Amino acid sequence: MRIPSEGTLRKAIAFVATLGVGVASYIAISEAGGGAPACIAGGGGCAKVAESSYSEVAGINVAVIGIVGYLLILATAFVSGDLGRFGGFALTLGGFGYSIFLTYLEIFKIEAICQWCVASAVLMTILFALNATRLIGYGGTDAGQVAAERG
Amino acid sequence: MSGKKEREKRRQQRLREEREAGAAERRSRLLKLSAGLAFVALAVLVVVIVVNASSGGGGDVDLEGVEEVNRELRGIPQDGMALGDPKAPVELIEFGDLQCPACAAYAQQILPQVIEGPIKRGEAKLVFRNFTIIGPESLDAGAAAIAAGAQGRAWSFIEIFFRNQGGENAGYVTDDFVEAVARAAGVRNLGRFRREAKAEKAKREVEATTRQAKRLGLTGTPTFAVRGPGSEGLEILDVGSPVDLEAAIEAAGETG
Repeated sequence: MRIPSEGTLRKAIAFVATLGVGVASYIAISEAGGGAPACIAGGGGCAKVAESSYSEVAGINVAVIGIVGYLLILATAFVSGDLGRFGGFALTLGGFGYSIFLTYLEIFKIEAICQWCVASAVLMTILFALNATRLIGYGGTDAGQVAAERG
Repeated sequence: MSGKKEREKRRQQRLREEREAGAAERRSRLLKLSAGLAFVALAVLVVVIVVNASSGGGGDVDLEGVEEVNRELRGIPQDGMALGDPKAPVELIEFGDLQCPACAAYAQQILPQVIEGPIKRGEAKLVFRNFTIIGPESLDAGAAAIAAGAQGRAWSFIEIFFRNQGGENAGYVTDDFVEAVARAAGVRNLGRFRREAKAEKAKREVEATTRQAKRLGLTGTPTFAVRGPGSEGLEILDVGSPVDLEAAIEAAGETG
């Protein structure tokens, strides 16, 4: 399978990270108002998740941490070379691992599923895949040179 | 001339090879570093989940008597630290310590009748004031009750707390414990509860009511006091049965 060009990957990363900022902002704003994000399919899962002790880390709302994370990932899409590739990979690796942990908490500890959190986990998984592809496909190479050689 | 061109070509070739070798080395280093990072992340994730799975956590504290308390208090208004109709003419005040075993016994043996009677009928409201005499954990527990009261769940919190009381200063008043009690008590916004239970404001309020109890000359918990149109200000009661408490409420409610 042919790897998409690095430019395409960077555009895709920027797009998905922007969606992530939107989802995390929605969760943060909903919770800041003392409520919970509306669940598309109902069931009150989000209220239970938002109220649980796991919705904060050291007094900081997990959704706020999410916004910062997605913004940093978005920034790496605009950084060329190995710094952008490795930065994006490291950030999404952390984000992906954290999403797995949060999903584990939802299923086994809080025993409630919030669709907005699932949406964020899916976005983070896609971002991890995109950034891993960018790093493995283009890491250590000069982007311009690779493009010239491929072209 | 052609020899010069040849040399230039070879030089270019060598430079290209060096560049490619450098890039390959850089790439190899970067990928090794990334693989190492991924391995560390995986290890951290596994450790965190294993530790978390074995440590329990706030949602796993087993509480007793939650149903019983919910049944007892169902349909009775709760406002701040008060239970009962906010407009009730008589105020029955309990000066108590959440760690105090006698207060827990009162909550289960004496107060249910009073709650079922004059409180439910709207003749009096029952107000809890922290009088911390046992130790530092009383302050934490009292502040948590005030935080629950800020969301209208103080009495549910207090009653569930009493039914799950541990040994005095035994270390059971943890964040997980008070949070589990708050959740069972129906505190809706647990994030806000956590913040307010830790806030200085709640602790200062506990200290203020404790000072008030000392000024009134109280020496033990629980001590009840009553205030109403038929009482002379705040009257400290020396009573020990539901019948006595009901009689005191009745007397304080009599006008003229």
